[in-house]
Amino acid sequence: MELFSEIYSCYYQVLRHLLCSQNALTQQDIRSRICGEGFEESLLSIIPKLEDGTWNLLEKDGNLFCSKISSSFLTPVSDLEKSYLKALLSDPRINLFLDREQTKALQSMLSAVSPLWSPGQFRYFDRFPDGDPYEDETYRNRFRTLLKAQKQNRYVDIDYTSPAGRRLHHHYIPARLEYSIKNDKFRLLALKPEHPSKVRQARSHRRIQAEAEPDRRTCETVCPNTRQQERYPAKFRLEILNLSRIQSVRPLEKTLSSPVDLNAMIRHSYYREPLRLRIVNKRNALERAMLHFANYEKNTTKIDEDTYECLIYYNSNMETELLIEVMSFGPMLTVTGNDRFLSLLKDRLQKQISLSP
Amino acid sequence: MSDFQELIKSFPKTREYVRDFFVYGFKTREEFSEKSPRTYDNERRRLESWLGEYVRKDHVSRGANISLAIDSNLLDTNPLFRVWKTKSFTDNDIVLHFLILDLLRDGDTLTAEEITEHLLTKYEAFFDTQIVRRKCNAYEKEGLLQKKKAGKTVVFSLDNSLADWIRSNDNMLDALAFYQMAACFGIVGNHLIQQFDHQNQSFRVKHGFWVHTLEDEILLALLQAMNEKCNVHLEIKSSKNGVMNFSECTPLQIFTSTRSGRRFLCGYVIKSRRFTCYRLDTVKTVRPLQPSAEYDALFSTLCRNQKWLWGVSFQGNGSRHPEKLTMKIQIREPAEQYIIDRLKREGRGGTVTKIEPGIYQYEIEVFDCNEMLPWLRTFTGRILSLTCTDQFVEHRFYRDLQAMYRMYQIEKTPASESIRTE
Repeated sequence: MELFSEIYSCYYQVLRHLLCSQNALTQQDIRSRICGEGFEESLLSIIPKLEDGTWNLLEKDGNLFCSKISSSFLTPVSDLEKSYLKALLSDPRINLFLDREQTKALQSMLSAVSPLWSPGQFRYFDRFPDGDPYEDETYRNRFRTLLKAQKQNRYVDIDYTSPAGRRLHHHYIPARLEYSIKNDKFRLLALKPEHPSKVRQARSHRRIQAEAEPDRRTCETVCPNTRQQERYPAKFRLEILNLSRIQSVRPLEKTLSSPVDLNAMIRHSYYREPLRLRIVNKRNALERAMLHFANYEKNTTKIDEDTYECLIYYNSNMETELLIEVMSFGPMLTVTGNDRFLSLLKDRLQKQISLSP
Repeated sequence: MSDFQELIKSFPKTREYVRDFFVYGFKTREEFSEKSPRTYDNERRRLESWLGEYVRKDHVSRGANISLAIDSNLLDTNPLFRVWKTKSFTDNDIVLHFLILDLLRDGDTLTAEEITEHLLTKYEAFFDTQIVRRKCNAYEKEGLLQKKKAGKTVVFSLDNSLADWIRSNDNMLDALAFYQMAACFGIVGNHLIQQFDHQNQSFRVKHGFWVHTLEDEILLALLQAMNEKCNVHLEIKSSKNGVMNFSECTPLQIFTSTRSGRRFLCGYVIKSRRFTCYRLDTVKTVRPLQPSAEYDALFSTLCRNQKWLWGVSFQGNGSRHPEKLTMKIQIREPAEQYIIDRLKREGRGGTVTKIEPGIYQYEIEVFDCNEMLPWLRTFTGRILSLTCTDQFVEHRFYRDLQAMYRMYQIEKTPASESIRTE
């Protein structure tokens, strides 16, 4: 069982799509598909092989190219993939997706296959033990309802209990289901439509604020404001709901007609001023920090022989977690900005010094 | 650069480059000292070709920095999976792949000779029977074809029932879209969803540490050895000084950190008769050895020892016995009850006791209290005292705290005194 094998290669995928095309292809069709699906320089390798017949898989008919194989061509599942699927059957989260009949069918098709791994071969030593209840049928049903609504861009009516114990009831559009590996929990990234009067109110509030604080940009460096407010003036607001705290979910008739660019919303929620870290490469701090913060958008530059500066982009939802992560490095990292983050860190240290005897 | 090839034959060399670009992303051409400038140029060009949209170039005084800008909050898949799709192949490989699998699609059972004949008559493709037989045997090994003996002849066939089932099953495709991001060997899940032309547009992963997919070949070899209860010979390159070392051990379990994505092999080292963990990104090769007669017994011993493991270290500062750590913290009740919840949830079996109103004590015994320091520091601002039977840990905690006070010019003030007495 090879993981690095040509049968999974990008070129094979590109070729499969070309060969399974229902219609004859022009040279331009072929080129644009290779450019769209291949790597940046794949065109240079694939086109000559197809044109000179070395890859004798297309038949030329005038200016058109016809596939020699059936459009219903299907690549069989390899032993590696079967073994992977068998391992997934031992994962409790599989039942969020497959019903009993489907699980049974898959088990039967894989009866002679050994799993690629078994749960006991892994130990997640710092994962929180209070993960979501994947065995709970009510939880599973909510998960499935949300997933279906997400795929259909459908509004849902959600009754939710916040971590502070407040009961909330709103209409949302599920944007993504986010899984936290550390928490072993699902969260719903949900778009909450804002009431038109609130949109007007928010706009007017920003106008007044801008007039009262003409040099607000300078102010934002001290207390950086989010970019989200500018670009998305409150048509939708992105909220994060813990799936296990959702009390009920009901799909509604209404669907979202035009998709919302979720990534643009997330990007615009980042503070203008990134977190600035100065890293002195002692006790392997550089590699540790680079790996630890690898899940953030970051940019690192070398300042001198042993010193590096790392910029990390984040938003208010990530702030506490990022602060905790930075504190865990102790004096190996120095926060040099932004002012807001620096002030949060100093506040913790001030509290700590006050507790010292 | 006339010999530049976009695809590659073997993974290990590229693994190092991608890792360096991804993890560090500040090394210029001159700083990649281990390889020739020509190799650097070729590797960089490949990286730009495979991962173009994620490659960022910054011009600095010492030249151009090239790095991979990957924000896990915005991704529907792991961009580094593309690196696994770059294996080179021959012209015969790709042509035979499509023609043989298409030929056997309808369930025919054919010999290598018959397949060769049909390739010529049906597709006008001439191949030597030996080449066709070799490809069929290779595909039988990969599980793409079935091979049976019918009397004296060997016949090949294809069973697409599982592929058909997956293709027509939206729930299964959703599951694969999820697992390709959220579980180990996500690359295999990614191969599958790509095979069935499905895309993930429903799931995101928080705390996704994508770079570790580069270790999956090593992980696969280790799991195969673990499944067969075999010892292994490891070639390890130190992450600190680059020195190569070797070890023979019984591979028992894969330890994974969800906070950094790092994975470790926990093995029993035969020579020193001790449990040790090796970071997978430092393991360069795995060679299976003979089966271990003591495998189950060693695994049981490891399980018994796990209650004293904080992370991956079986030995503290010179001691092989568990050390005791006690931390007292102060919180404002009930508003900061979540701190106590954190202690209980993240404390890995340590006990949490209420000493008096607003004051709690956390206690634990582990082999290496050093490993706890990063976690303990996250309670900065609430720690009343910290004691440890390993004096080094206690000293280091307070020394680091003093260093931080100096770094940020934090001093005791009358106002801070009042916080203590509140």
